[in-house]
Amino acid sequence: MIFKFNPESCRKDFAILSKPIIYFDNACMSLKPKQVVEKMLEYYNEYTACGGRSAHRFAARVEDEVLNARNEVRGFINAKDALEIIFTKNTTEGINLVANSFGLKEGDEVILSDKEHNSNLLPFLKLSKKGIKLKFVDSNRDNSFNLEKFEDCLSEKTKLVSVVYASNIDGVANPIPEIVKLAHKNGAKVLADGAQAVPSIPVDVRTLDVDFLAFSGHKMLGPTGTGILYGKMPLLEQMDQFIIGGETVVDSSYDRYTMEGLPMKFEAGLQNYAGIIGLGEAVRYLKKVGIKRIHEHEIDLNKIITDSLSPNAKISIIGPTEAERRSGIFSFNIMGLDPLDVSKILDVSRGILTRGGTHCVHSWFNKHNLKGSVRASLYLYNTEEEAKIFAEEVKKIAKI
Amino acid sequence: MVLCIIALPIFAILGIFSLKYRKLTAEALDCLFRTATLRKCRSGLDDKIKSAMTGKAMKFSPKLARLIYRNYKLISWIILIILMWSLYGTSVGIYNYYLYGNCNGPDKTGFCALDPTGKNSKISEIGVDVQSEILYPVFELNDPVIGNKSAVLTIIEFGCYACPYTKKAEPVVKEVLDYYKGKVSLQFKTFSIPHHNASHISALASDCALEQNAYPQFHKLAFEQQDTLTKSNFTSIAKQLNLNASKFAECVLSEKYKPDVDADTLMGVNAGVTGTPTFFVNRQKIVGPKPFRTFKTVIDEELGK
Repeated sequence: MIFKFNPESCRKDFAILSKPIIYFDNACMSLKPKQVVEKMLEYYNEYTACGGRSAHRFAARVEDEVLNARNEVRGFINAKDALEIIFTKNTTEGINLVANSFGLKEGDEVILSDKEHNSNLLPFLKLSKKGIKLKFVDSNRDNSFNLEKFEDCLSEKTKLVSVVYASNIDGVANPIPEIVKLAHKNGAKVLADGAQAVPSIPVDVRTLDVDFLAFSGHKMLGPTGTGILYGKMPLLEQMDQFIIGGETVVDSSYDRYTMEGLPMKFEAGLQNYAGIIGLGEAVRYLKKVGIKRIHEHEIDLNKIITDSLSPNAKISIIGPTEAERRSGIFSFNIMGLDPLDVSKILDVSRGILTRGGTHCVHSWFNKHNLKGSVRASLYLYNTEEEAKIFAEEVKKIAKI
Repeated sequence: MVLCIIALPIFAILGIFSLKYRKLTAEALDCLFRTATLRKCRSGLDDKIKSAMTGKAMKFSPKLARLIYRNYKLISWIILIILMWSLYGTSVGIYNYYLYGNCNGPDKTGFCALDPTGKNSKISEIGVDVQSEILYPVFELNDPVIGNKSAVLTIIEFGCYACPYTKKAEPVVKEVLDYYKGKVSLQFKTFSIPHHNASHISALASDCALEQNAYPQFHKLAFEQQDTLTKSNFTSIAKQLNLNASKFAECVLSEKYKPDVDADTLMGVNAGVTGTPTFFVNRQKIVGPKPFRTFKTVIDEELGK
């Protein structure tokens, strides 16, 4: 097989890969290239300061770097304006922001898929106690999104559709453009949980026409504690603030305050400047490599694993059998073995780091009466050799 | 649950040095508590250990890994039983070491981990096996006694003036006699060790000193000058003890008391003595230069009968 992308060209940038491990837990946390780490160190070593408050040279540099990062992210997802990019802690915070500031009222309906991460389930589950009705779209047999059922769920009361873009259980991407079209036709807005999609799939928010997109920096080579909420400007402007405090107002007295404009009105308190600047560098890195190439590389590796393991009767793959529909995720169970045990055995026996369990999607695993799954998630720095070693080791474990 | 029982004390000890093990200790404790209260163990510590063991085994052989994974509960029970057995053995060993100075008991000389050099059990051996039929030594009225002759208890010691371990036991013997002054006395039986040059002759000399009423002084001086104890320096010892030197020399060289010396050694062999020093407190045997507390334990027990 001829690879379009050679991971060796970037592996040298990831110091941690010098360890004797095979890192296949990228859906949880990606590794960080030295460029990102150095960019963050630069902030701490050369211009540590508050952005947007002080007027000295360090503060001005922070402002510039944060703006650069915002612009990098804007370009990465092809947002119209950098003001549409809100920095958050993570995807969870972005979703919570929309859930709480969108203006949902008693009697409104929110549609979710049956494969939502707790990040996209619990904020709405909490709101349901205030009279907001939740509707869940059951997936097809192969775990793909069922558009017909989704259409059935839509009603004039539907105000928001909040669905995962690419599932962290099996990597299957939902048909966001179709979902958006149907939702908009019905007058509802769409929030996409892009935590898994944005790091691996080319995302163009203007083509998708999605109203909100929340994703995390730590899954796309960026630092931990960084996330992004994209929102269409008119929607963000009319939304009320979620967390307020420092830098979210232009003025305040003892009985009133005047809200700041975008994006500051949603970025309360002192920001994670080093993280945001590091995230900007991560996006630069991904752009340089090319997200399309990364996506194709992940699928190529997933094919190796799938072709090797799918004939094994003891191994059941979660999601569609075709690797290209699961992007960089290979989620599976071995008959008679606990997924947590399998994940641990892979680590101890060959240093293969995967994730075992319910991947914060308890609801889906409970529904399917599964204890969990072992999830191998691939990324740009993983190699063909690693994929083969993994497949061989899983075969051995299946004989236990 | 089974391995949590094993893990708890191990992690608790390691937890003194490492935070990581403190967390594991808490998990093991929680697991035990929940199991004891008929609830499911939350921490999954057992499963973590199981998969870690299986993973390690996978490096060597998938078959071994399978054996461990599929028989984990049985293996856990076996490990637990072995642990309990070894804990019991260790406890007994510590108890014995405290009381008798040797993990194996007062009359044993085998290896003891708490006394790796064996200093409390070293004896000069004669290379004979313990007799199958033991004839316990008896106090002999005509033989000399160190301490109160009418003491209620007499320790019989089989020793050798040329034996370094018998010499090592001397201060403890003195301490015992001082502690039980009037109640306990000592009868020293010479036990010839063939590979000690001066063993036999010094035994003869002690009887010859007794003949001149200088036994206690000889006993003391012989140990003090053990390093120079040779056939030729008995003249010097006689002078130091103000003995009739020619009579003493003749007595020693003619082996006048050889039958008595041989009788003492035979008594020891019949009593199961394999080396010196060996003590008998009635029928309880103490082998080697044991610490004071060992003698005290045995003597108190015998005095209490």
